[in-house]
Amino acid sequence: MYRVRPARHDDVPGIERLLSQMEARVSTLPEDRDRLAEKIELSQRAFERDPLVAGRERLLFVLEETESGDILGTSGIDRSAGNGTPFYNYRCDELIHSSHQLDVNNTVPVLYMTHELTGRSLLCSLTFDKNRVDQAGRELLSRARFLYMHLNADRFDPRVIVEIQGVQTPDGQSPFWDSLGRHFFGMDFREADYYSHVKSKTFIAELMPAHPIYVTLLSEYAQEVIGQPHPAAEANCQLLHREGFRIGKYIDIFDGGPTLEAELAQINTVKRAKLKQVKRAPHTMGLNYLVGVARENSFVATLAKLTDGMGDVLRVPETCADTLNVSDGDDVVLSPL
Amino acid sequence: MMIIRPVRPADLEGVLALAESAGVGVTTLPPNRELLARKIEVARQAFHREGEPRSAYYMFALEDTETGRVAGVSAVDAGVGLQDVWYNYRLSNTVHASAELGIHRQIPTLYLSNDMTGCSEVCTLFLHEDYRKGANGRLLSLSRFLFMADFREMFSEKVFAEMRGVSDENGLSPFWEGLGRKFFTVDFSYADYLTGIGNKAFIAELMPKHPIFVPFLPESAQSVIGKVHENTGPALHMLHTEGFNFNGMVDIFDGGPLVEAFVHNVRTVRESFKRYALVSSDSSTPAAWNSDELFMVSNRNFEDFRVALVPGKSIKIDTVTLPPEAAKQLNVTSGDTVRLVRLKPGRKGK
Repeated sequence: MYRVRPARHDDVPGIERLLSQMEARVSTLPEDRDRLAEKIELSQRAFERDPLVAGRERLLFVLEETESGDILGTSGIDRSAGNGTPFYNYRCDELIHSSHQLDVNNTVPVLYMTHELTGRSLLCSLTFDKNRVDQAGRELLSRARFLYMHLNADRFDPRVIVEIQGVQTPDGQSPFWDSLGRHFFGMDFREADYYSHVKSKTFIAELMPAHPIYVTLLSEYAQEVIGQPHPAAEANCQLLHREGFRIGKYIDIFDGGPTLEAELAQINTVKRAKLKQVKRAPHTMGLNYLVGVARENSFVATLAKLTDGMGDVLRVPETCADTLNVSDGDDVVLSPL
Repeated sequence: MMIIRPVRPADLEGVLALAESAGVGVTTLPPNRELLARKIEVARQAFHREGEPRSAYYMFALEDTETGRVAGVSAVDAGVGLQDVWYNYRLSNTVHASAELGIHRQIPTLYLSNDMTGCSEVCTLFLHEDYRKGANGRLLSLSRFLFMADFREMFSEKVFAEMRGVSDENGLSPFWEGLGRKFFTVDFSYADYLTGIGNKAFIAELMPKHPIFVPFLPESAQSVIGKVHENTGPALHMLHTEGFNFNGMVDIFDGGPLVEAFVHNVRTVRESFKRYALVSSDSSTPAAWNSDELFMVSNRNFEDFRVALVPGKSIKIDTVTLPPEAAKQLNVTSGDTVRLVRLKPGRKGK
């Protein structure tokens, strides 16, 4: 059975094993053990509402297989995009160059450097073991975050964003970077990407040119990949699209990948979420639901077949109730899968 | 003999014939009768002190007095961009540096600029092929600086010239193809033509206004920024010897350089001097003159400014002796003050 819960220190080896299988790197998950441990430490403090990390909470969840205890996936939420520093994007904009004399109206696409997404709720760190996590598990891993945000709505900016990895060549280069960032750094994408992890993305972003960029002056290949997701991110994009996320005007300044946006209250999982009281039952029938429970400083979510009746009481199967560690009368949040 | 004089309305046919022999690239002399008639009229007004002197346009004709033919034209704009908007790109530099990453990169950057607004410009230089020999080219070009020397108050402190940029045999400019073309849906010759006939508003409307990072341009465009057309090499050399230097500005269409100088530093202005005219009674035709010994002589008359060439040996301590034909063409009589300067840089003074 799948269970989503906050990451703990003893998850480090499991997460490391998971990362070692990934083909594309997850920009917000360090591979270095010490840094990973530090990230988990900060996440725990965030769940515990430690005032030292207030406003810059970076929450990390894991997807656990309850039978084996194996870590099959991770997902995260940064409470404040940029984590206290400016969060950079290019905004895709258009200028109309119009001449009445010549009867010409040209639409000129332009990229403006912006940090107006700074402080929004940022979904990040999504990884999973492709061989062991089925579609339902992937949905749970990603969407459990919406249940958590719904239960803790006062802690989050209602505007939620996700950065999707941009297109890369088979050898890991970025056509967008090659046509833009490379001129200013004199290094290839992999190297710049490396530095953006060692230093910070903001550090690198601040070395990018502040002037607007005329898209027409970029290479054709670079123009083609603006706002296009990496093929490996396609499934994730579709899931988020079903949840109500849309591609907006913002792209990543390094690889040109799109940023998806949604209002928390308009996200499908949140719109259809209900709070009910648990009534443990030996067996239930019905449709698949995400079920979560907020604990003091913690959160657990899993999947179950349930029948969502008229009343405030929800019959929850024993196995699910055990996974959530809930008893009769406890509040749970549920949303249809 | 060859004489420089203000262009006149009666020169229209002659100037039009000149323009028709010019071809693409001479932005300020398009073969358009209506436009040329307007330019000639504007110049006539300027010489008669009608209109706003700060934006006056003085156009001169080089006349072959034997045939009455207009062999060439040249002009001075007292101040550009005062009635419309004057654009250049300033070739500037952006430095991206990070000690931590070991990066220090200089990125040439083009900024759209109106910095030349109000500056005097020497422009519209065109000499017919048949006359591209001897002293004609220098006389046509440098006589403008004699005019400025006598009427300094009518011009700005600085004077500049836009040099024709690189284009291929089909009139295609690599700079235009790499930059302007991406923003315009018209071709270079047409854009150039429109500028020439004074339709400049469309530039502001269609050109990119934000800075352009040069590495974003194709190699072919990058390599011609600030470079002149091969035919313009001699003209550039002449201006260099007059004290002009590249000022970091380039043409927004073809990337050709602007060269500029302070008027008081221009060799022709600095080395010029005055003498009393003494009209000789000897009307015999002088022997062929060696251009190294030639001096330009102006009549210092604003409304009817004229410049001719005389040999250096006719210049004395207080006077210059003018042959009767030259005096007639210059419209001077004995006792008038004239301004002289050596046609080619060389020994100082006479």
